[in-house]
Amino acid sequence: MTQNLYHNKTLQWLFYLFAFGVIGAVPLISDDAFLLNQLAVYGVYGMLAVSISLCWGSGGILNMGQAIAFGLGAYCMAMTMQMQTQAEGTIPPFMLNNGLDALPWIWEPFRDTTTGIMLAVLVPTVFYLIFGGIMFTARVSGPFFAILTLATLSAFGTIFVDLQPYTNGVNGISPPGSLNLGETEIDPYSSGAYWFVFGLLVLCTVGAKLINQSRFGLVVRALKDDPERVRFLGYNVAIYETLVYTLSGLIAAIAGCSFAVLTQYVSPAQFDVGFSISIVIWAALGGRNSLIWAMFGAFTVQGAQSYVGDQFLNTWILILGFSFILVVRFLPGGFAGLVEAVLGRVARSDSQTDAASVDFSKAKEAAK
Amino acid sequence: MDISSIAFANSLILGLSIASIFFVAALGLTVIYGTAGVINMAHGEFIMLGAYTVYALQAFAGIPYFLCIPVAFVVVGAIGFAIEKSLIRYLYDRPLDTLLATWGVSLVLIQGTRLIFGSEPKYVEIPQFLSSNIEIGGLSLGVFRIFIIVMALLLAAGVWFVFYKTDFGIKIRAVTQNREIAASFGINSGQVYSFTFALGAGLAGVAGALFGALNIVLPTMGMGYVVEAFLTVVTGGGALLGSAIASLAIGELQSIFALVTNSTFAQFLIFVLIVVFLRFRPQGLISASGKRR
Amino acid sequence: MIGGFFRVENIEKSFGGNKVINGFCLDVAENTLQCLVGPNGAGKTTMIDLISGRQKPDAGKVYLNGDDITGQGEHEISRKGIGRKFQIPAVLKGLTVRENLEVAYSREVNPLRNMFVMKATGCAEKLDEISRQVRLTERLNVEAGLLSHGETQWLEIGMVLMQDPAILLLDEPVAGMTENEIGLTVDILNKLKRTHTIILVEHDMGFVRKIADVVTVLHMGALLAQGSIEDIEKDDRVRAVYLGTEDAH
Repeated sequence: MTQNLYHNKTLQWLFYLFAFGVIGAVPLISDDAFLLNQLAVYGVYGMLAVSISLCWGSGGILNMGQAIAFGLGAYCMAMTMQMQTQAEGTIPPFMLNNGLDALPWIWEPFRDTTTGIMLAVLVPTVFYLIFGGIMFTARVSGPFFAILTLATLSAFGTIFVDLQPYTNGVNGISPPGSLNLGETEIDPYSSGAYWFVFGLLVLCTVGAKLINQSRFGLVVRALKDDPERVRFLGYNVAIYETLVYTLSGLIAAIAGCSFAVLTQYVSPAQFDVGFSISIVIWAALGGRNSLIWAMFGAFTVQGAQSYVGDQFLNTWILILGFSFILVVRFLPGGFAGLVEAVLGRVARSDSQTDAASVDFSKAKEAAK
Repeated sequence: MDISSIAFANSLILGLSIASIFFVAALGLTVIYGTAGVINMAHGEFIMLGAYTVYALQAFAGIPYFLCIPVAFVVVGAIGFAIEKSLIRYLYDRPLDTLLATWGVSLVLIQGTRLIFGSEPKYVEIPQFLSSNIEIGGLSLGVFRIFIIVMALLLAAGVWFVFYKTDFGIKIRAVTQNREIAASFGINSGQVYSFTFALGAGLAGVAGALFGALNIVLPTMGMGYVVEAFLTVVTGGGALLGSAIASLAIGELQSIFALVTNSTFAQFLIFVLIVVFLRFRPQGLISASGKRR
Repeated sequence: MIGGFFRVENIEKSFGGNKVINGFCLDVAENTLQCLVGPNGAGKTTMIDLISGRQKPDAGKVYLNGDDITGQGEHEISRKGIGRKFQIPAVLKGLTVRENLEVAYSREVNPLRNMFVMKATGCAEKLDEISRQVRLTERLNVEAGLLSHGETQWLEIGMVLMQDPAILLLDEPVAGMTENEIGLTVDILNKLKRTHTIILVEHDMGFVRKIADVVTVLHMGALLAQGSIEDIEKDDRVRAVYLGTEDAH
């Protein structure tokens, strides 16, 4: 039997090489600063889709609250950037407007850039570790877990609005300057920033793929099928679930940090339920079981959204909604599933022709 | 009565009002989730459709408000029936996909409504006497809010009647208990699910008819209800009584927390409490079928 | 070994006031095949659930090699060396046969370490050996959900073997197999019991006769009789219980 090319590991890596080669080469072709910035933001969305593919596609854990890690990462990063621009002894202007006269303790660690960036990655990740641990040891799963992530996301959204003196409420934080790493300034409208985000995207995707191919990934795919059975094989399912959920949170946190660097703006919109679920939509359309196709899903949907223009935006979202329904109903593997099926058919017809030719040669022998 | 006890009594009354809104919003969802275990993310949009139905009836046909309410039930119920027949019934054994597909439905409904009615807010007109305020010894509440409380009780009684006093209700409960055994007694579970879904959607339509008058009518108005309604249903466990208790508890607690802190923080506290509660009691207050988690 | 390699003492379990297991005791010597038989509803599968950790007993103890393993989590009991095959064959349907066997090879269960392992050492050899034993060499790249019923049973037996447990709990391993397939299972089990301890739940006395070292009869959640197959077949109480159920049919 001829192997389905879709499952060929070497070809998969070659495809990665090709795709990322093309994506990485964009700044060599174009030096349009706004375009590069926009494409880099798509890269951030790609990371989010990859993170969903890791926990939902591989582990079957539908996390509709992925914006939790994204938002927390983005806020921490924006706080770091805000503090970089504050002169010694001053506090951000919005705090003055909200009646604070000293920097709140929660902002203190962000005075130091290194600590701030570390927190931007650690805070969401540790939160996922704790939240996931608590939920998965209670064997919360399936739609129930999805609903609880949504509830938690809503809780974050409301608290960030409510803590106006510390978060500037609905207005959010817009650091006046871009991020400085030591002596280098990361100008969000530059090929440098593009490549920076691109590097993170490659790191996350390739890292997630390696994890999927490891024995850890194998166990995770097994527990998606039947967690009960996997438990009887000796694996602590709750820990595996918690870890894959945490890893996906880590990727989303990195995406959040990059988002803050690129847009220099965060607001409670980052915790929006609709936005959080659209991450799932990207992954579903592209193909939840494939990291790179989930990423393409994000590029396509978000790209199309900004290019159809305001005039057709409503129609576009209508189309998006319909295609999402159709994909869920008829093509649960998304576009990747389609590619897999087509390549599978090619492989099968190949082996049939092989078989036919064997029969033919046998017949010839018999005729002799 | 001193001021703080008046404030407290007021917030209890407001809590009752919030509870009745939660309950009305969650009622249709309770019926659908409790019976079929379907998580219908388009529930908020069914509510929105109910509000638009009333608006359209009033604006284009001049039909009085009270008559619009049953029509909203029928119209949205029919839409729900169509969606169940064309989409949901293929997904009963894929709960996660049901959740996603219904989210897709909600996107389509929002955009469809926006294309037809535009994004500007619409208003539902209610009879004069409903828009006044009642004040008794420092306690005050809008008549319309009292009307919603009454409607919540009526709807609860109606659903109870359907579930426990009619032939259809026996079938619903049989299918909820055990689909296979119900089928072996000749109950067409597919049909039961379709009508249950329609009933749930219809109830959402009624909710929309009420909320449309309480607030402005917008294509996105349903989004605000869906997460809360879900939490109410899941906390209640999918049973009618569970949802009633859950919405009462959530409404009152939210109102009391708001008195002590502020309404946004109160909402945050409620979310956290519910998540903690469900962590330790995933089956909710009163479990509808006992086997779901 | 005196005191038994695997011991179950006075296990009790009720479901909603119904006592399903009523002071059951069991003593299994190392490297023997012990069959657990009994009429429907005797509590055989419940007993397997209680041993493997799927259910927690209300009272009583389970010892493996002198270790008290009562009430531990499924994965912990599995780590201690008790492998289980389910009555309704439970394989991972979305994974290939090869992947099913690879997952079952669970020497290393630490998730952090497993992130850095692409191929477990010794897995390939073991997989080779086991897949030949359960006759699935030709089917390794097939999705487990596409296997025939008999093949699925084989695969799950193979998965338990990949675990290489000290004790195998097999719940009706030949249900739905053809005569031919049953014959092969008998061969495998007779070979296996030289090096493994096996507790096997079964209805079919013909099959039990071919493999059992010791037969334990369970009735109404308690031990009714125990001994060699010849002793059991002569036992009047056992006959009464079985004929009693025959009458009911």
